[in-house]
Amino acid sequence: MDFSIDGKKVKAKKGEKILWAALDAGIEIPHLCAIREAENAWGACRLCFVEIEGRGVVTSCTEPVGEGMMVHTDTERVQRLRKRAMELILADHPMECKTCPKRGDCELLKWMKFLKVKVPKNLRPFPKERLEPDESHPLFVLDPNKCILCGKCIWVCKEKIRADVLDFAYRGYNMRISTFLGKPIAQSPCIGCGECVKVCPVGALYFKDKEEIKEV
Amino acid sequence: MTNDWEEIYQRAKEKWEALEASPIHIRIGTPTCGRAAGALDTLKEFREKLEKEGIQGQITEVGCMGLCFAEPLVIISKPEIGLPPICYRNVTYQEVKRLVDGFILGDDPCLELALGTLDLTEDAAPYIPEMLRFEIEERLVLRNCGYIDPQDIDHYIARGGYLSLRKALGMSPEQIIDEVSKAGLRGRGGAGFPTGRKWDLCRSTKNEMKYIICNADEGDPGAFMDRVVLESDPHSMIEGMIIAAYAVGAYEGFIYTRMEYPLVLDRLEQALMQAREYGLLGEDIFGSGFSFDIETVAGAGAFVCGEETAMIASIEGRRGMPRPRPPYPAEYGLNGEPTVVDNVKTLALVARIMGTGAKGFRSIGTPSSPGTAVFALAGRIEQIGLVEVPMGTTLRQVIFDVGGGVPEGRELKAIQIGGPAGGCVGKEALDLPVDFDSFKAAGAIMGSGGMIVLDENNCMVETARFFLDFLAREECGKCIMGRLGIKQLSLILEEIVRGNGREEDLNLLEEISKDLAEGALCNLGRTAPNPILTTLRYFRDEYEAHIKEKRCPALVCKDLIAYYILPERCERGCEHCVLTCPTEAIVSDEKTRTKRIQQDKCVKCGTCLEICPPEYNAVIKVSPPDRIKELEAKIGG
Amino acid sequence: MLDEEGEVFKEVFSYFPARRRYLIRLLQTVQQKLGYLSEDAMKEVALHLGISEAETFGVATFYNQFRFVPLGKHHIVVCMGTACHTMGGQLVLDGFERELDVKVGGITPDHEYSLERVGCIGCCTKAPVVLINNIIHPKMTPYKVAEVFAGLRDKGSKSSEEHQE
Repeated sequence: MDFSIDGKKVKAKKGEKILWAALDAGIEIPHLCAIREAENAWGACRLCFVEIEGRGVVTSCTEPVGEGMMVHTDTERVQRLRKRAMELILADHPMECKTCPKRGDCELLKWMKFLKVKVPKNLRPFPKERLEPDESHPLFVLDPNKCILCGKCIWVCKEKIRADVLDFAYRGYNMRISTFLGKPIAQSPCIGCGECVKVCPVGALYFKDKEEIKEV
Repeated sequence: MTNDWEEIYQRAKEKWEALEASPIHIRIGTPTCGRAAGALDTLKEFREKLEKEGIQGQITEVGCMGLCFAEPLVIISKPEIGLPPICYRNVTYQEVKRLVDGFILGDDPCLELALGTLDLTEDAAPYIPEMLRFEIEERLVLRNCGYIDPQDIDHYIARGGYLSLRKALGMSPEQIIDEVSKAGLRGRGGAGFPTGRKWDLCRSTKNEMKYIICNADEGDPGAFMDRVVLESDPHSMIEGMIIAAYAVGAYEGFIYTRMEYPLVLDRLEQALMQAREYGLLGEDIFGSGFSFDIETVAGAGAFVCGEETAMIASIEGRRGMPRPRPPYPAEYGLNGEPTVVDNVKTLALVARIMGTGAKGFRSIGTPSSPGTAVFALAGRIEQIGLVEVPMGTTLRQVIFDVGGGVPEGRELKAIQIGGPAGGCVGKEALDLPVDFDSFKAAGAIMGSGGMIVLDENNCMVETARFFLDFLAREECGKCIMGRLGIKQLSLILEEIVRGNGREEDLNLLEEISKDLAEGALCNLGRTAPNPILTTLRYFRDEYEAHIKEKRCPALVCKDLIAYYILPERCERGCEHCVLTCPTEAIVSDEKTRTKRIQQDKCVKCGTCLEICPPEYNAVIKVSPPDRIKELEAKIGG
Repeated sequence: MLDEEGEVFKEVFSYFPARRRYLIRLLQTVQQKLGYLSEDAMKEVALHLGISEAETFGVATFYNQFRFVPLGKHHIVVCMGTACHTMGGQLVLDGFERELDVKVGGITPDHEYSLERVGCIGCCTKAPVVLINNIIHPKMTPYKVAEVFAGLRDKGSKSSEEHQE
């Protein structure tokens, strides 16, 4: 299937979502929650907006490519919506980058720079409740404060590994990733595979010792 | 079962006629709203009184006529006296004795308690169908409501029920879809999507398994249309649902309703059971070879489950989080199979359309929005209740002619339409015709039919804050725009009503609103900014008063008002306010005996204002609170 | 797990085949019997349906209806729907918070009263309304809060007296 992104000709399989076709073609589109192997797109981070001529703005992780489709990644609307989503995330995220264990490979920071967005000053502070990080597991730490609820860890734990340790809990602004009753991970059926840590785009899940990654 | 139908129908008809002919027949409305007004006590009192007096009378529990302001509502038929059935208003259990002694045992029709009669009479009582309200109203959905016993399928059948289904099963599914499309039926859930097109989409998928869901998750605060329909005439929806299932090719159906509506669930279960007994649900309905059954699902308290993809997740036993559309449920719905989701009123109208034909339906309403609209009128309005008017009726007619206008001569300020995702329109919108497209043009949405009237005592900024706070509590948390965007909007509004608004907040509200409307994952998020956008459009001055002058013009926002007792009106001998103030904030001056509110102790609950005898009317509200100082200085000087 | 709870689970599970779509209904039924969802209740339901405990917890915490501690003896639900809000529902809620000295969502330390808010119970014509032990109190005002509460307290002491007799 032939279509174009920002005037550049791109080829993709039928049914492929725009996001993956673009990334394969070397065109950057910010994204935090998308998982290529997942059956249904999650569509939660609202960063991967693109504009299709004659169609309007869509999230590229949910929209399949179409023959002759003309996709743009740099229109005013796309930029504005991406920026808004990023600003909202940043306003709610503890910006402790200097001490963050994810420093160096934080995807949030990468896309923040890509979008040239700064931590917004005009928003009202979110009433974020500080939660205790779960350090019970020997291999990794779960720090819910840094979580952006992209859901990737839950997907790998539930759908790929089928370890069923983590799921979403609560609703709305109080939503968080949680074990059963929020118990320490060490008391959960966790098998220590570390897959959730590897997919976490931010510092919400990190290995205690970076060396452990090789062993796992 | 087909052979039995004639028998069923005859039996039902005879039962109904016998009831109509009984010497004394008392109908008592016992829907949830009637119960809140004490209808169950009235019912009990009537039963006891009839038994005590040895009166041979029939008592039927009926649903809601829509005249909720007059509840408990009682209709008494006594054919021998030569009067048509009389409808009595506000019959609490204390009035029962008067009615039994006066009318049932005697010949006095107690017209002073009557709202009117159900048939024309030369007597003093007004004829209800001639009341202005009923001249404007056109009852398609509410036809049986308040008149039949919702717990007895025979009543529905005697009034022509399930004949549409019988007719429909003799047609091909394509013919039915064609008829519904020709009728121009648009979904009554809010968006107004053409029902025929949705059905066709679902029908034309190749899947074996298809589902139909009745969306009875009436979560909009301030809306109670679906509750009334299901409590008063559940079969009208069920009949439409069976027709819809046959048309799209579904074998299984679900009614998703709210756990906050326990009576709806009871009545539905009962109605479904009766329909099964008569062979209207189950295998081989009317010998057509079509089999279908319905299961009820009670939501567990989540507004977002009114969104169709969230509802599907909830029926599957999951967290009710919406998923991106497309694919639409008509192609990929429950268990991944094609699924049609229709609102209660849409389905009730389907049964009517199949009865009267597309042409009959199209003769009501406007060309682009045929048929009727059902509204729940509430808030600052005289005749609170349910109304059904042809599309195209103006808001002015609905509010003033049907609803009786704003009570106590106060002035209408705004009309809140379409639930939290709808909007507030001002007085200038009163001549707007009620239909999907006109509402959209005015910045509001039709929504499912909640209509709340606001008067000068309502603050529009506070109203917007209320809706955003509601939505922030109820949104699912999945997408960034929904979780953080709605929360941010509600935080900004919170600060404005507290007097901490900044001038740049208005722009910020508008910008975030615009981005949410375009960028949120589901319709809850996309429509969440509507209350802000519409109040900013029609009542910007109120926002500015809050931000620039720290003043609430409607005297509502707690942090921007103060209560004050006018010494010149305060009565020396009266201590009502002092005694009822929950925080003992009111003191009596030793010498003058006038009362004064200690502002530091006042929690602004308004009890003193409520309790101050109307002949003194000494308590007032002022804004900004600093005005107290001026008033006190005047006294001092 | 108490034996009593075990009996409840056995009974409830006998009505519902182990299909995941019954998850919410099972939680509702168990809660109705026990008054709340205990840790064991969620574990047993998860086991019965073959769903993970984490997901069962995730579903239970998504919906307003589920609670994880028992309610007070008198359960007070203040409706905060649009009509109720328009007609002064917030003042009524404030009134209860003051009378009970608990915040909405809380329970008094003596377990006598629990206070909750609800989105809308569809009784908009009688706004503002409060549900106390599932009985609707129409057209509430802050002043009536004190009255209603005094009535409850009287009834409470009376019923406990009766109990003693």
